Amino acid sequence: MAMFSGLLLGSSSCSDSWLDIQNENGLSSGNFWKTEEDMQAGLNAVYAMFYRQGTWTRNLMNQLDGMADDGVLYSSWTELNEWTKFIYTDYNFAEVNTKIWKEHWTAVNRANQVLDHIDDPNVTFSDENDRKDIKAQALWFRSWYYFYMTVLWDNIPIVLKTSSASDAPEGVTADKVFTQIESDLLKAIPDLPLERETEKAKPTRGAAYGLLARVYAQHHKWEEAAECLEWIIYGEGKNLYELERNFGDNFNNHTENNIESLYEIQFSLCNDVGWDATDNYLGADAQLGTQIEISRSPKGMGWQIVESNPWVKEYFLREKTLDGKNDPRLYYTLWYQDAEADFPEFPNHLIYGKTWEQLGYSGSDNDRIYIKKYSTDVSPVYYWNDNNFRAIRLSDMLLLYAECVNEVNHGPDAKAIECLNRVRSRAGLPDIADSKYYDGAAITSDYDAFKEHLKIERGLELAFEGMRWIDLKRWGFDASTLEDIRLRDADYNNFVIGKHERLPIPQTDVDNNPNLDQNPNY
Amino acid sequence: MKKLFNAALPVVLLCAFQPVSAQTGISGRVTDESGEGLIGVAVIVETDNARTGVVTDENGIFYIDVPEDTDLEFNYMGFKSVILPAKDNMLVVMEEDRSLLEESVVVGYGSLKKKDILGSVSTVRHQELQNRISGNMVESMRGLVSGVKITSSGTPGSNANIQIRGIGSLSGGTSPLFIIDGSYGGSEVGLSVEDIESIQILKDASSAAIYGSRAANGVVIITTKKGTTGELKVKFDGSAQMYWLPKYDLMDAETYKYYDDLAYQEAMMQGVPGVNDLQNHLSGDSDFLGAMLKTGIIQNYNVSMSGGTETLNFYTSLNYKKDDGAMMNTGHEQFGFRVNTGGKKGIFEYGQHLFFSKTKTDNLMGNPWASAIQIPPTIPIYDDSNPGGFGYGKVDGANSTAVNPVAMESLYHSNNPQQYLYADIYGQINLWENHLNAKLNVSYKNYFGETNTLRKKGNWTMSQGDDSAFISYATAAHDMILVENTYNFNYDIKGHSINAVAGFSFNTMHEEYKSQTKLDPLVVGDKYITSFDSATGTQTCTGSYIEYALISYFGRINYSYGDRYLIQLTARRDGTSRLPKEHRWGNFGSVSLGWRISNEPWFDVNWIDDLKLRANYGTLGNTNIGPWDYQSVINTAPRAIMNGDTKVVGMTQSNITNMDLVWEKKTSANVGVDFLALRKRLSASVEYYYSKSKDLLFNLPILMTTGNEGGAPMVNAASLRNTGIELEIGWNDIVGDFGYSVNANFSTVSNKVLSLGYGQTVYYTYTSRSDIGQPLGMWYLYKKLGIFQSEEDVLAHVNSKGQVIQPDARPGDIIYDDYNDDGQITSEDRQIVGSPWPKLEAGLNIALSWKNLDLSINGYGRFGHLVYNAARATAMDFTSNQNNFADFVPWTQSNPSTENPRIIYGDTRNSRGDQDRWLEDGSFFRIGDITLGYTLPRKWLRAVKFEEIRLSVTGRNLLTFTGYSGLDPEFADGGVFTIGYDGCSFPNPRSVQFAVSFTF
Repeated sequence: MAMFSGLLLGSSSCSDSWLDIQNENGLSSGNFWKTEEDMQAGLNAVYAMFYRQGTWTRNLMNQLDGMADDGVLYSSWTELNEWTKFIYTDYNFAEVNTKIWKEHWTAVNRANQVLDHIDDPNVTFSDENDRKDIKAQALWFRSWYYFYMTVLWDNIPIVLKTSSASDAPEGVTADKVFTQIESDLLKAIPDLPLERETEKAKPTRGAAYGLLARVYAQHHKWEEAAECLEWIIYGEGKNLYELERNFGDNFNNHTENNIESLYEIQFSLCNDVGWDATDNYLGADAQLGTQIEISRSPKGMGWQIVESNPWVKEYFLREKTLDGKNDPRLYYTLWYQDAEADFPEFPNHLIYGKTWEQLGYSGSDNDRIYIKKYSTDVSPVYYWNDNNFRAIRLSDMLLLYAECVNEVNHGPDAKAIECLNRVRSRAGLPDIADSKYYDGAAITSDYDAFKEHLKIERGLELAFEGMRWIDLKRWGFDASTLEDIRLRDADYNNFVIGKHERLPIPQTDVDNNPNLDQNPNY
Repeated sequence: MKKLFNAALPVVLLCAFQPVSAQTGISGRVTDESGEGLIGVAVIVETDNARTGVVTDENGIFYIDVPEDTDLEFNYMGFKSVILPAKDNMLVVMEEDRSLLEESVVVGYGSLKKKDILGSVSTVRHQELQNRISGNMVESMRGLVSGVKITSSGTPGSNANIQIRGIGSLSGGTSPLFIIDGSYGGSEVGLSVEDIESIQILKDASSAAIYGSRAANGVVIITTKKGTTGELKVKFDGSAQMYWLPKYDLMDAETYKYYDDLAYQEAMMQGVPGVNDLQNHLSGDSDFLGAMLKTGIIQNYNVSMSGGTETLNFYTSLNYKKDDGAMMNTGHEQFGFRVNTGGKKGIFEYGQHLFFSKTKTDNLMGNPWASAIQIPPTIPIYDDSNPGGFGYGKVDGANSTAVNPVAMESLYHSNNPQQYLYADIYGQINLWENHLNAKLNVSYKNYFGETNTLRKKGNWTMSQGDDSAFISYATAAHDMILVENTYNFNYDIKGHSINAVAGFSFNTMHEEYKSQTKLDPLVVGDKYITSFDSATGTQTCTGSYIEYALISYFGRINYSYGDRYLIQLTARRDGTSRLPKEHRWGNFGSVSLGWRISNEPWFDVNWIDDLKLRANYGTLGNTNIGPWDYQSVINTAPRAIMNGDTKVVGMTQSNITNMDLVWEKKTSANVGVDFLALRKRLSASVEYYYSKSKDLLFNLPILMTTGNEGGAPMVNAASLRNTGIELEIGWNDIVGDFGYSVNANFSTVSNKVLSLGYGQTVYYTYTSRSDIGQPLGMWYLYKKLGIFQSEEDVLAHVNSKGQVIQPDARPGDIIYDDYNDDGQITSEDRQIVGSPWPKLEAGLNIALSWKNLDLSINGYGRFGHLVYNAARATAMDFTSNQNNFADFVPWTQSNPSTENPRIIYGDTRNSRGDQDRWLEDGSFFRIGDITLGYTLPRKWLRAVKFEEIRLSVTGRNLLTFTGYSGLDPEFADGGVFTIGYDGCSFPNPRSVQFAVSFTF
C-alpha cells in the first residue's frame, strides 16, 4: 500500500503546467487592441463586411430592388421571389432574411469592438488625429448598417458595445434607432477629412453628411436633412462634388471614384476563388467582388433574379431631350428589345456580346426588360465583377434636397427647383418649367405637385440603385399611394398596410430573445 | 418446481430423432453433485451416420441403444457437458457449471467476476458477433444489449452512431468513450469485428466512474483476441455480400408534367405574378437515382493465426474489406493488420497490441437523395449542349435550379485515404502470490488522413456560373499518447474478499490540419492532371492545429463478505486543458452496494440459482469539447479593398467566447436486480436509473444580434434529467441435439430539461422547442387541421370572435390551427405537436441450433415517436418545379383530398416546412440479421485436419415493419435538438451475405 501511494505522489508532480496549452492558431484576443495598427486592422475588418452575400455582394441589393416597385423577381427560386412580393412563409428564410440580418449585426459588432477600444489611453497614436479618424469611420459604419436594418425591419435592438454570448438586447422603434444614428454621425462628422487621397473606401465628411441627410429624411426631420445637404451642395461640398457629364459613368467600372460620388463601395477581383464563395469568415482569399451584375443578367445568362417592371422604360420614353432624342439615362439603365431603335446615337447595344435578337427570345420574353445599370463589358457574364457600387451620389443628394426644402417650406423654392433642374439637364432634358410632358407650372409652384414629380424623377434617376424602397417607405403607404403603386407593380397586391412596411424579424432571434418582439401582424 | 420445468419440452423434440439400429441396449442414471437425479438430460450417441439421443426421466434414468465402444455425451443446461464411454448401469455425476457467474468481465483498469459486478454492464462476446454481417464494430452490436441505441447510415465507410441510455451530453456527439485494449479509440479506427474477443458496455456511474470525466456517455471496452495455449490455430473468414439501397418512388416524366401543368394553371388562375405560360417541358424521362444505384458488393476476408504456450501467446490477423458501393461515387476499401502478443516470466508479465489499418473512402459530394426529389424528371441526365455535358434546368423548359446529382458526382470527386496506427504495450509485475500487480501501460495512436478533391469543369445546375476547375489536397495528422500506471490488489480471506485498483494516467493529443487548393489543373484531352505543379491558377492554403491533455488519478475498491454483501467505491480526479485554469480539476466517484440474496443461508428457493440486488450512486463528467473553447482568438482573415486592387488586412474577434466554462457533471442513481433461475436457463435483469446531467457543455446557438460568427460559442447550456427502465430477459436450453435461446431486451428513456444556458427558459430551433420541465426538442410546428373543401369552409374557419382566419385561402388550401385565437395565422400559432422520443426500444435475439445447423435472428425496434420526413417536405408540392412522390395526389375539385393540398407554382402557402404535415409515426420493428449456418461434422474434418469449417448465409434488413413512408425509419438524426429529423438521410441497405469460415 505504501508503495503505490508513494508512486502516485511521485507522479503527481507532473501536474498542472502540462495542462497550460495555448491556442496559437490566431492572436489571443487578450493581446489585441494594444497598438495603433491593431485599431486600424480592427477597422479594416468592418470594411470587410461589404463583401458578404447578406450585405453588398448581392442579397441586400436584390431585396431592396425587388421589394421596390422598379424591380421585380421572376426567378426560378419561388421563395426568393415571394420575399420581394410580401409573401413571407418562413421568417428564417436563410438566403434573404437570416443572412442579411446576421451579417449586418456582425458588421455592427465589428464596429463596436473598435469603438470599445479606440479611446484606450494606453494605446498611443503617432498622430492623435488618426485616432479620431478611426473612431469617426467606425461610427459612420455602425450608422450605415443600422440605417439599412431600419429600412428593412424598423423595430430592432440597439447594440453599442461588443457583444457577449448572453446578450438579449431589447427591441426599440425605428425612431429610436434613427436618433442613435444621428447622434453617432454628428460625432463623426468633424473628425472626418474632406477628401481622401488614395484610400477611397474611407468615408469623408461628405459621405457622413450624405448618410446623415438620408437618415434625417427617413426620420422626416426635413430641416436637419436640408442643412446637411446644403453643406454638400452649397457649402464646402460645392468644391468637392459635381455631376458627371455622362450619366453612364456612374455605373461603369472604368470611371470609379469620380466627382459625383460621395461614397463608393470598392470592389475588386484581386481575390480569385474560382467559384461562388463569399461568406467564408475565415477565408483570407474570399471574394472581394460584387454579384450585383450576375443577379440582374437577362434570361439565359447568369442568375436573372431581378428585372425591371415596364413602367420604368415607359416613363423614360415619355419625355424627350432638348435635342429631341430619348432620355439617355434609359440607355444606361435598361436592356430591352427596341433599345437599338430608340438610341441610334449609341453604337453599342450588345448584351454580353449579343444583340437582343441573338438572345433568341420568343413570345412574351421579348417584352421583358432587363437591368443594364452596373453591367460591365465582360462576356460571358461572370459570378463577380469589380464595379464599385456608388452608394451615395450627388444627383441623389440634389433631388433629396429639393424634397426636403419642399417639405420644410411646404412648397418648392428656387434652390429646390434648381437642384431638380441640374439633374434633368445632365440628362439633356429641359428645365422642369419648360417640360413638354409634365405640368411645369404646377410642379414649380405647388407642394403636392412638386413632391409627386420628385417621386418620378427619383424613380428614373436612381432606378435599381437600391434607393426606391427607401424612398417609397419615406413617402409612406396609404390606401391611395398603394393604389398608385399597384399600377406599376402587381407585387403590391399582396401588400397589407400596417404589416408589410417592414420584414418579419428572423424568428429564431425573436423566439430566443425574450426582449425582442416580432414585428406587428407577423 | 424443478421437476415441472424440466420435463416437457425435450421429449417432444426428441421424437424427431431416428431410432438407432439394433445394437446393445444400456441404461444409466444421471445425478447432480448431491446425488439428486437430473431430469431431461440429453444423452447423445454419435455414430457414423447420425447423432441420436434420448433424455433422462424424472429420476434421472435413461435407456439407449448403442454400438460397441462408443462414447456418450451428456448435455444439460447449467451443467458442464460430460463425455463418457458407454456401459450398462452407468452412473453419471454432472458438475454444475459456474462459469456464467465466475466469468470475468472487463470493467476498466481490471476485471471483476460477473457475480461481483454492481454496476450496469452488458457484455457482447465474440460468439454473438460471428454472425454479424457488418464489418463495423459498432453496428455489429446492434440489438444485442439494452439501453444502447445504434443508428447507422448506409454510406460505405461511414461510422454508426451509438448512444447509451439516452442523451448524456450534448457536445462532442453522444458517443461513449471507446477503450480498445486499454487505449482510447473509436469506431472510426476500422477494427475488424473478427478480431474482437468481447465488448463490455459500462452504462452507469458505478461501472463507468473509473473513467471519470470521459464517461458521461458511458464506456465501451473492447478487448481483442489473444492466443490460447496450444498449437497453432489458423482461422479464415471470408464473406461476400450483395446489397441494395432503397429508392424513392418518384413521379415519372409523364405524371410530373401533368401535375406541373396543373400547378401552373392554378398559379395563372390565382394570378401569381410572372407566371404566364405553362412550362415548355423538356423531353427527358430521367430516373436520377436509378442511374446512380447499383447492386453493391462487399468482400471481407480475415485470416488469423494464434497459439501459444503457458508463458507466451500470440494472435495475429490480416483483414481486407472492399465495398464497391451501391451508390455512384461511394466505396470503401480497408486493410488491417494486427499483432497481439503476451508473455510471462516469473513475476513479470507483458502484453502488446499493434494494429495498423489503411482505408480509402470515396466521398459522396452532395445529397443525391434530396437532389433526386428536387430535380424535374423531364431534365435529361446528359445534355451535350451544356458545359460539362449534363442536363439541368432551362428557364422555359424546366425552370429549376435543382442539382443534377449525376452531374455533381461525375464532375466533383473526392476520396479520403486514411491510416491508423494503434499500438500499446504494458509491463506488469505480479507480487505477493499475485495479490498485487503493478502495471505500466503506454499506448500510442497515430492517424493520418488525406482528402483529395478534383473539381472538373462543367455545371450541374442552371444557376451556375463559369466555375473554375481545381484540385485540392487536405491532410489531418493526429498523435495521441497515453501513459497509465495502475496497481491492482486482491485478497480473499475467510469470506472477505478485496479487490482494489489505483492509478495515474496522462493523455495528450496533437492534431495538425493542412489544406491547399489550386485552380485550373492541366487538362490533356479528357484527362485532368492532378499534379499541383501542372495547374496554372491561383493557389491557396490553410492550416491549423489543436492540442489537449488530460491528467487523471483514480482508484476503486471492491469488497465483499461471504459472497453476499458487496460494496464498491470508485474515485477519480481529472484535470483537463480544455477548461480554464480555475475550473480545470474535477472530482468524480461512485458508491455501489450489492446484496446476493441467493447466498443467504435462509434463502431456500431452490429453483433460483442467483439473485442479486444492487444499487449505486455516482458522478461522471464530460469535457468532450473543443480544446480551446474558453480561449478567444482574433480572426485575421478579413480583407477589404481601399481603392482599385489595394487590399488591406482586417482583424477582429469573430467568434464570441465564454471564458467561464466549468465541468459538465452527470449524477446518476441506479437500482437493479439480477436473476438467474431454472438451472441458469432463465436469466433476467431489471434496472431503473435516474440521472441528472448538470451544466451540459454545448455550442448552444446564440442570438444573431450578437454578430457572432464561426459557430455558437461553447457554454454550460443546460441541465437534463434522464430516467428509464431496462429489462433484459433470456431463456436458453439445450435439449439433445437441439439448442435454442431467446433473449429480449427492452428499454425506455425519458428526458426532461431542468435548466437552460444564458438564463433562458426555452430554446427554439426551426422545428422544435425545448422548455424547462419538458423533454428536449419537442416538435413545435403549425398544426394542420385539414383541407378547405369549399369557399364555405374558408369562411367557416373563424376564431372565437368570428373573424375569418385565412381569408385569402381557397378551396384546396391547408387549414391551419389558429392556436392563439387572434384571427390570423402568425408565428404565435406554432404549438407543440408531438415528441421525437421513442416510448420504447426493444431488441430480440433468437438462436436455434440443431445438429450442425444453426439459425440466428436478430430484431430490434423503436416505438411511439414522431419523425420529421424532410424528403416529403423537400418535394414542396410543385411550388418551384420539384418532382414529387409517385403516391402524391393533390387536392383538385374532382379529387377533394383531405390529406394533400392543391398545388400552386410559385406559392409556398401549403408547403411550409414548419407544419406538422411532415410528421409521421416513426415506429418500426426490423429484422436486422437472419443467419443460417452450417458447421461441417467433425469427423469429415478430421480427415482433412481441419478443426472447424462453417458456412453461413445472412440476410440483413430484409424485413421491416413500419408505417413510416421515408426510405428508412432508422436514420442518422439531426442532432440533439432535432432528434427525429430525417433530412433525406442516406438509407441503410438490404443485403445478403455468404460467408465461409474455417479453422485448422
